[in-house]
Amino acid sequence: MNKTPEQMNEDLLRPVFHTTWRFWATVGVLLSVIAAAGLALSYQVWNGIGVWGIDRPAFWAFDITNFVFWIGISHAGTLISAILRLANATWRRPVTRCAEVITLWALMIGGMFPIIHLGRPWLFFWLAPYPNERGIWPQFRSPLMWDFFAISTYITGSAIFLLYPIIPDWALVRDKSSGWRKKFYTVVSLGWRGTPKQWNRLEMAMKIMAVVIIPVAVSVHSIVSWDFAMAPVPMWHSTIFAPYFVCGAIFSGIAALIIAMAIIRKALGLEDYMKRLHFENLGKLLLVMSLLWFYFIVSERLTTWYGNEPSEMAVFWSTQIGSFSPLFWTMVCCNFLIPVPLLAIKKLRTITGTVIASSTIIVGMWLERFLIIVPSETHKYLPYAYGSYRPTWVEITITAGTFAAMMLLYVLFAKFVPIISIWELKLGERKPVVSPQLSVVASDLPALAEPTGLATDS
Amino acid sequence: MTVDLDRCTGCEACVVACRAENNVPTAGPDQAARQRAIHWIRVERYWEGEFPNARLRFQPVLCQQCDAAPCEAVCPTYASYQNPEGLNAQIYNRCVGTRYCANACPYTVRFFNFYNPVWDKPFHLQLNPDVSVRSVGIMEKCTFCIQRIKAAEIQAEAAQRELKDGEFNPACVQSCPTKAMVFGNLNDPESEVSRLSQSTRGSKLLEEVGARPKITYLARESAPEEGGATS
Amino acid sequence: MDRRDFFKISALTGATAALDSCGKPERQLIRFIPEEDLVPGVATWKPSICTLCPAGCGLIVKVMEGEAEVVRNGKLGLMPMGLAKKLEGNPNHPVNQGKLCPRGQAGLQLTYHPDRIKTPLKRSGERGSGEFQEIGWDEAIKELAAQLSALQSSQESASLAFLTSPLRGQRRELVERFLAASGAPRPTEWAFLDDAVLRRANQLSFGRPQLPTFDLAHANYVISFGADFLGTWNSPVAQSIAYGEMRQGRSGRRAKFVMVEPRVSLTGANADEWISARPGTEGVLALGVAHVIIGEKLRPASGAGGPAALIEGWPQGLPDFSPDLVEKRTGVPAATITRIAREMAGHEPAIAMIAGAPLAETNGLWSAMAVNALNALLGSVGQPGGVLFTPDSAAAPPKPSQASREGLPQPLQALAQQALSGRPNPVKALLVHDANPVFASPPAWRIREAIENVPFVASLGSFLDETSILADLILPDHSPLESWLDDVPESGTMQLAASVAPPAMLPLHSTRAMPDVLLDIARQLGGPLSAALPWKSFDEMLHAGFVDLGERLGTTNAKGADDFWKKVQAQGGFWATETKLAAPKDPNSVGRAKAVAPSDPQFQGDEQGYPFYFLPYASQMLYDGSLAHLPWMQETPDPLSTAMWGTWVEINPKTAARLGIRQGDLLEVASQHGKLRAPALIYPGIAPDVIAMPIGQGHESFTRYASTRGANPISILAPLTEPETGSLAWAATRVKISRVGEGKLTLFGGGLSRFPHEIETR
Repeated sequence: MNKTPEQMNEDLLRPVFHTTWRFWATVGVLLSVIAAAGLALSYQVWNGIGVWGIDRPAFWAFDITNFVFWIGISHAGTLISAILRLANATWRRPVTRCAEVITLWALMIGGMFPIIHLGRPWLFFWLAPYPNERGIWPQFRSPLMWDFFAISTYITGSAIFLLYPIIPDWALVRDKSSGWRKKFYTVVSLGWRGTPKQWNRLEMAMKIMAVVIIPVAVSVHSIVSWDFAMAPVPMWHSTIFAPYFVCGAIFSGIAALIIAMAIIRKALGLEDYMKRLHFENLGKLLLVMSLLWFYFIVSERLTTWYGNEPSEMAVFWSTQIGSFSPLFWTMVCCNFLIPVPLLAIKKLRTITGTVIASSTIIVGMWLERFLIIVPSETHKYLPYAYGSYRPTWVEITITAGTFAAMMLLYVLFAKFVPIISIWELKLGERKPVVSPQLSVVASDLPALAEPTGLATDS
Repeated sequence: MTVDLDRCTGCEACVVACRAENNVPTAGPDQAARQRAIHWIRVERYWEGEFPNARLRFQPVLCQQCDAAPCEAVCPTYASYQNPEGLNAQIYNRCVGTRYCANACPYTVRFFNFYNPVWDKPFHLQLNPDVSVRSVGIMEKCTFCIQRIKAAEIQAEAAQRELKDGEFNPACVQSCPTKAMVFGNLNDPESEVSRLSQSTRGSKLLEEVGARPKITYLARESAPEEGGATS
Repeated sequence: MDRRDFFKISALTGATAALDSCGKPERQLIRFIPEEDLVPGVATWKPSICTLCPAGCGLIVKVMEGEAEVVRNGKLGLMPMGLAKKLEGNPNHPVNQGKLCPRGQAGLQLTYHPDRIKTPLKRSGERGSGEFQEIGWDEAIKELAAQLSALQSSQESASLAFLTSPLRGQRRELVERFLAASGAPRPTEWAFLDDAVLRRANQLSFGRPQLPTFDLAHANYVISFGADFLGTWNSPVAQSIAYGEMRQGRSGRRAKFVMVEPRVSLTGANADEWISARPGTEGVLALGVAHVIIGEKLRPASGAGGPAALIEGWPQGLPDFSPDLVEKRTGVPAATITRIAREMAGHEPAIAMIAGAPLAETNGLWSAMAVNALNALLGSVGQPGGVLFTPDSAAAPPKPSQASREGLPQPLQALAQQALSGRPNPVKALLVHDANPVFASPPAWRIREAIENVPFVASLGSFLDETSILADLILPDHSPLESWLDDVPESGTMQLAASVAPPAMLPLHSTRAMPDVLLDIARQLGGPLSAALPWKSFDEMLHAGFVDLGERLGTTNAKGADDFWKKVQAQGGFWATETKLAAPKDPNSVGRAKAVAPSDPQFQGDEQGYPFYFLPYASQMLYDGSLAHLPWMQETPDPLSTAMWGTWVEINPKTAARLGIRQGDLLEVASQHGKLRAPALIYPGIAPDVIAMPIGQGHESFTRYASTRGANPISILAPLTEPETGSLAWAATRVKISRVGEGKLTLFGGGLSRFPHEIETR
């Protein structure tokens, strides 16, 4: 890294201070997609959930697919960031904030589905334990209740994990801005002065959070998997589901992160900060997850096949050679056959290569969620009750809206927050420079005695 | 309840009787085509073999009122719960429509109101005032005609006597021409249903799933290869 | 007030309120049911009678207080009234013993149907356009009376025709008297599924023109040739009750049941052994069985008596019906025939029954007589566990069936010919009651044209079906639950039975019961008509009839007449407490001693051009199509196909594979008389050369629920008949099929078999 802190400030704060027409265009397009989804959602709430394509026995379909998918995506961030932090992988520095913010937004979007998919969504608060005149508590044996607690814990933890390290950067923006920005960032930087005590506490908090957030993240997706595994439904009722889901979640999360980084890198001109190395390293991680995912699906399918339990075999064949097989084999291509060569062969593991692989993985993992849910529902024990499923425009629009919402939130985040953690990056540069502009912040950096610090552009 | 598959002819009198008794909404041709028709009880039919040896078997399937009902534990709002008499009750007012119970039910006997049900006037005059009409977004299912159970219990209590076996029946049982279905109190060892559920022909539906259903199915018999009636 | 008084009052209110209130403002009253009999939330149970099929089951109706929007005296208002909520079988009724079939359960919807005709209508547009204007009852009655009186004054009373579904009991008496006193011919009765052939066969074989009653509960062996006795034929509820007993009602004894038919029906699905015989050869198969029984000396040939005398070759031991020869004609292996014969002879009492498609062949009468002879050979006739006949009811002895007029065409066909040709005299006025022949008759009979040819057509129906829509004047009938009903079951019980029931609820709309309309007309026309029909209302007639019955049976005397009348109303009819086996009469009394030679069935359409037998069958839910307007019936899955809200064409899987037809493909089924389109349903239990279709859908006009839904198999039937009775041979058409595109099939059930992945992988 040959950038001086001034250059870094210049590069990384530019998106915060300068608003281009591209920003407005992007926001406009995304808002219109979200508005369409909002209309679709209103239409659904007004008329009843019958406007979706769900039926008997496919009571869940796009709704819960989206829920599991987005909760899975959320594992990109906090979990990866925490692991990398704990492992002191210094190349992580330009990546962590990018990743953590995905978590928060994905959780918000995913967490919305258990509410909007209700038959009577206006009564969603009945799912929460609160003292009420009816004297009724929720059913704590229900995995949906566990979801409620797991997701709310994770979303709180992730928000803290994301926000703590932003505080010094917001202080930086505060110091460099004037007018309404000054006022705004004064408030959000919570009086950060960069005193040793503050730095110490920040570092301490981050260490604790990094340790705590990992079990939370693992438990969240385990619990999501138990929404299925706890129900006696063929191919749902499986012990492998929890690790399988966690693996899939990290898998799709890294893919989402790579795509987000590639877009940000291009859109905000951060080619000097997010380099091939980052994509390559994340690509390697993705390769591992792809192999792990394949291992899980093979062991799931193989044991089912050998078990030869009639009701499970009905689901099995419907996905392997039956009506769901086109989706199934697309999924295998997207999650394994295409990404593995792209990620395993060094020559192909370029930025473009990893982005292509990640894109197919996003598609593949969405399909995977769908294929976990719908074929089992439509092939339960009694063949007479078999059914099928076809989505309508309403749930397709809402699904599109979630992707648009994800992008919009991301764009807005990058507008208000430096998307790369400036102070951490500087810390990694091991260039404890006292700069006039950063006097308060940078002057205390040496006190932090970062043990290692390989240059990221070696 | 016991269901004697050797008596059942698959006529579906039970299906229509249930619909009439329990205000089951009519989905109409479009919604029915989208697999949203509601039948609290259905008569499943399974083919075996090929022509000219093709055979057909019927099996009425309704809520099995499981002792260890998978639908109950998964409901976050306690809408689906086991009442003190051991029935899997559905409290419509408490249901928010997660549809989780329907997924968890191994028998697929839970039904969802995808829209507000409509009765073309004056069909609404037929609605049974003893059974509530379900609104959009909630699950419904066989109740073993709990309104009939309660009415009979109240009457017996008012007359200060015990309920007699067979004093009342759910709509499906009452209509069944071949008397394939027998309803009663399983806790009473003297009742006919207790006697029949001990039959060597008896088995439970999907016993392996472990939901401990309360309905016993009595197997269909077949005539011996050579010869007529078994005697 | 006790229950009996209540019946009296509801009887008065129900039947006479509408009648008497017309035209006289001082008598216009909205009558309320006394409050003490209708506690809100407490149900009252009232007897009634199911009119949806000829079985004549007894009902009890759950009536609860409710508020209905009704029109009374031209004013719309909310009225607290008793509303029928649920139908159950009448537990005391000898036919159905508290049980009810799915169709009967849905009978409720007739009353509350949104598309019922709510007030008299007069045609305002072109015939068949469906444009009517509402008129009052006074005007409607006046109009009808004027038309009939015009016929009388011009000495053309013979030009009046009355087209109705088959009638029984006092209702029949009333119509017959009305027509006789008018100088008009007897009513033309029409039902697609009319069993005229079997009645004729039973008359010839046993001297009883009546449908049989089977004592299945005590039988040890049952063979059915096409008779859907658990679904739609004869008295399905009574037969199902007995079937349950036959299976599991006797400790350690379970009868064997064999079904012979080319397509697995609801009944066939319950058989222990299912045999596919070539259509139209069922009688041959029966005689093949008889041949073995006689040949192996399991029963003496002479023991069969009169019924056997009608079968050519019987005294010689049926030489033309050796198992080998029968195998050639029927396609059933000789070994199977021999085995069944031995089993039947070895397990008495044994029953053979025949109905449905085998009797709807051109040789149906012969087939029925062959089965009758087999029963006689087995000694089952008139014996416990065998074939019996419900005792003649003294209330209304069965009239000789019109179908017994040998050699004449079927009455409906004759009426159509008369209306079209004007010979022997033109049809000037037609009254239609509860019959829809435009839908349910083959196109070659030209019923629509015939009706259009009649200058004045009045309908007494409740719905604008294909026939009613052609009417000039519609005088809508009460629904059955709003009417006084009576019935005399023809079969299904061994007890002498005559049902009667007062209205279970007040009329919802401005309708009037058909018998009361006829009585009103009679009163207006005066003369011989009012002399023949002296009663003010139908319930008076029923009262008189039942008091008379009570006296004739010695159950009551003049003093106890009122008590008797109250009692029968309260329980839903009169039935003898003891059962008695009605011995068949001596067939020689019929005066036919000549044996009948077997004939091969005739089919229209050659085997090359029309390679498939076409088998229409009565739908378990829609019956003959007269119930297609009930949404409950439309939405209840057909038990075998699981289809809802539509029609379908059943085809053997191998045939379908050969023709490249898949489930749901739209097929065109063509006969020499027309073609129709319907989706294909792959049906494992059908012979490869047979195409089957349920009757019931394909209505052009029959309320919002049935109109333009599906296809009507009757519309492509050939007009072949059984020659002696003139009865339509509706199973004698051959068809060809072709795939024309994608169809829409709504099925409730998914997988076909228990282990789908072993058979189909989709």
